Amino acid sequence: MILFRAILFFFIFITPLKANIIYNLIKIPNLEVYNVDAKNGLRYLYAIKPFRLGLNVEKNINCFNPGKKILDKQYKIIKKNLDRYSLNFLKKINLRYIVLCENLSITEINTAGIPNNKTRTLILDIKFNQNHFERAIHHELFHIINDNYKELFNENIWKNLNKRNFGYSKCSTCSENWNLELLNNQSGFFTEYAKSTASEDMAEVFSHLMFYKNKVYSNDPIIEKKILFIKKNILKIDNTFKF
Amino acid sequence: MIAKIKISKSERIILIFLIILGVFTFTSLIILKNKCLFVKNYNPNDIKFDNPENIVILNVECGNVIIELYPNISPNAVKRLKKLIKLGAYDNAAFHRVIEGKLIQAGDLEFGKRENLDYGKVGSGKSGLGIIKSELDEKFEYDRGTVGLARTFELDTEDSQFFIILQDEPLFEGEYTPVGKVRYGLEVLETIKFVPKFHIVPRPDFINSFKMLN
Repeated sequence: MILFRAILFFFIFITPLKANIIYNLIKIPNLEVYNVDAKNGLRYLYAIKPFRLGLNVEKNINCFNPGKKILDKQYKIIKKNLDRYSLNFLKKINLRYIVLCENLSITEINTAGIPNNKTRTLILDIKFNQNHFERAIHHELFHIINDNYKELFNENIWKNLNKRNFGYSKCSTCSENWNLELLNNQSGFFTEYAKSTASEDMAEVFSHLMFYKNKVYSNDPIIEKKILFIKKNILKIDNTFKF
Repeated sequence: MIAKIKISKSERIILIFLIILGVFTFTSLIILKNKCLFVKNYNPNDIKFDNPENIVILNVECGNVIIELYPNISPNAVKRLKKLIKLGAYDNAAFHRVIEGKLIQAGDLEFGKRENLDYGKVGSGKSGLGIIKSELDEKFEYDRGTVGLARTFELDTEDSQFFIILQDEPLFEGEYTPVGKVRYGLEVLETIKFVPKFHIVPRPDFINSFKMLN
């Protein structure tokens, strides 16, 4: 009986990652604080060891600890972009933690970021496609906005903005073409990737608006409608928001 | 005439060895064993407080921890804590979660009392008074000695469990409801039992009593 108790104790209580303060806040192991002094209240954390996550038993999200040099370099870029969001706006969209790691993947497919509005966390791959890295930050942040304001970013209304014969893929990774280069063919989409799902399409419009600021210009009437839709609804969340 | 007998070299070595053994035994059994030996115990009656109605005394094995509550910052949380303290609900509650040098947590009134400690469930127990809303303050600084109300992963789930941090934790700011700060006796809390790598402390230390000053 004593031996049984000892074994039970060992398995129940020896869970070192659970003794970690950051783990208790956002349920991601192996993180350390990078910076918690950002004026807009964002807390930047980084992986000190690789971590695996998953809502189910299967842990299908993987990310690795970044090297110090690249972390320092990319952090500056990420912070510069995220500093454009005010404390008030970030509170409204429920975002507080930015986790920096490299080679982020979900079910072995590389991704720029993984938002989780329940834990108020956005995981960012600091080594993601460097040509589109800054824009991808805003793209991933939009998913947090979308998850918190599903009623504003109604997918059925959005789908009706497209040409009648167009249909999105069943999921963001179902399409074979994930190209992020700007399209110039009056198709109603900024990129090929935008054709994957309504939510990715919205995120692409938002990220182009944020990255190119007022320089984003399209003579495509569908894109024009999409830009208006995004702007109108973002301003409903925070009427002081600046693109 | 009695001849003086000189101690031989080997006898001298044995004598020195016995002295060292004695010192070692005394140190390990008396000094090191007594974790409270060098811990100052504060008597609240010797201290003058400006706001005695918000001073509470947490008594543990090594002495008193004197805490000032902040009803102006978290009125509902302080009201809940005072109510449970006045009921004596925290007496014999375990410090079930202790992270070395970082945090101690107690106050599970359902599964964390001395008489019915349940290792499988401790940390998930309730007070029976229901949960209360989080009272978050972004500007409140969670520095060493801050007392906060614990909650589940979700906000607005605070009940009876509280924690005291043993180092500055800026990550807690705007995350947890602050209820007060340790004014005297933080070193007493550093003697609370922890087991490295265990997130629930086996055979934990207990609160002897948790009382209002007045």
